[in-house]
Amino acid sequence: MTAGPGRTTRWGDEQRRREHALLEQLSTLDRDDPRRAAVRDELVTMHLPLVHHLARRYRDRGESSDDLVQVGTIGLIKAVDRFDIDRGAEFSTYATPTILGEIKRHFRDRAWAMKVPRRLQELTAQVATRSDELTRDLQRSPTVRELAESLGVTTDDILDAIEARHAYSTASLDADRDDDAERPSPIGDALGVDDAALEAVEYRETIRPLLEALPERERQIVMLRFFHERSQSQIAEELGISQMHVSRLLARTLGQLRQQLADS
Amino acid sequence: MSEPVTSHPGAPDVVTVTFSADTRNVGLARTVAAAMAARADLPLDQLEDVRLAVDEAVSQVIVDAPDGADVECSFVVQGTELDIRVSSASISGRPPAHDTFSWTVLTALVDDVTVTVDAGRVTLALRISRQVAVEA
Repeated sequence: MTAGPGRTTRWGDEQRRREHALLEQLSTLDRDDPRRAAVRDELVTMHLPLVHHLARRYRDRGESSDDLVQVGTIGLIKAVDRFDIDRGAEFSTYATPTILGEIKRHFRDRAWAMKVPRRLQELTAQVATRSDELTRDLQRSPTVRELAESLGVTTDDILDAIEARHAYSTASLDADRDDDAERPSPIGDALGVDDAALEAVEYRETIRPLLEALPERERQIVMLRFFHERSQSQIAEELGISQMHVSRLLARTLGQLRQQLADS
Repeated sequence: MSEPVTSHPGAPDVVTVTFSADTRNVGLARTVAAAMAARADLPLDQLEDVRLAVDEAVSQVIVDAPDGADVECSFVVQGTELDIRVSSASISGRPPAHDTFSWTVLTALVDDVTVTVDAGRVTLALRISRQVAVEA
């Protein structure tokens, strides 16, 4: 199925020429040149199949496919930014280790906090991936029963997988922060911690700095869920991550805020 | 007539758990909450909200519970509705303030929250109804 290292589709000469032209163009543009974004976007889009291909290698290891593709794409963006056309290497050859590096880092950062049996880790990955698929098909989050029927397991198995999912290590805070710096925010700065949102909250002078100190993505998730009445699924879609990841980030952030408020 | 209880689809499904007012037990309440949310056939995002809400409600009553107190959590599933009551003896004898971040979080996660105080015991009642149509 693969024609070369990490390449899933056989490119025609035209695509190869286009890739080369874009890379050359990119090498001539300054870092802050506004034309850079369009060139970069096209290169990233061209190579997304490579990210999908590499992410598939890790599909049974406890993470949803969507999340793996997302971190892989961060690797791809890094590769586009760092690629030096004068060195004469193939871009896909250069990008592959960078993409794999991001995916591996994702696993390292999210090491299981408890000893979770291999079978349950695999089921957790299947639940995460199938949940994303069913959400797309049904246009809403699936129920536990629907997941169980779809995967041919019991509802208790699904509940075990959900619990296991929350048993992930919380050591990934810093890693998430790094990712946030590189990931363009689809919502932008529209979600500041404004007075209107916090109007009903006494002690807002206490909670505001805590919210402002949160990493960008966690703050967005908290503001959207609790002050802008979005569902976890809507937030997942807006931020391009899985709903299960939104759940984990929400649970962790609320726990932290509760602790900080108790201490203050 | 000896029909098994589970064959009555209209009968409410009730589970009650009691544990000492210690934050180590919050996870236990979350796990039961998730199982009961599944029985109400809630979609995953709502199920996760229920987990968070129970986490928040149990934490709220534990903060105001005297040493050695118990927290009682009861879960009732009737059709697509889940009613949760979290109660404990209270030091202050007062309901949790409505103008806190914690209260904002709790009310955003469920359809309705009511608080009652009776003989120094605070009860938070949470109601959750399924928001979307699901084929049986």
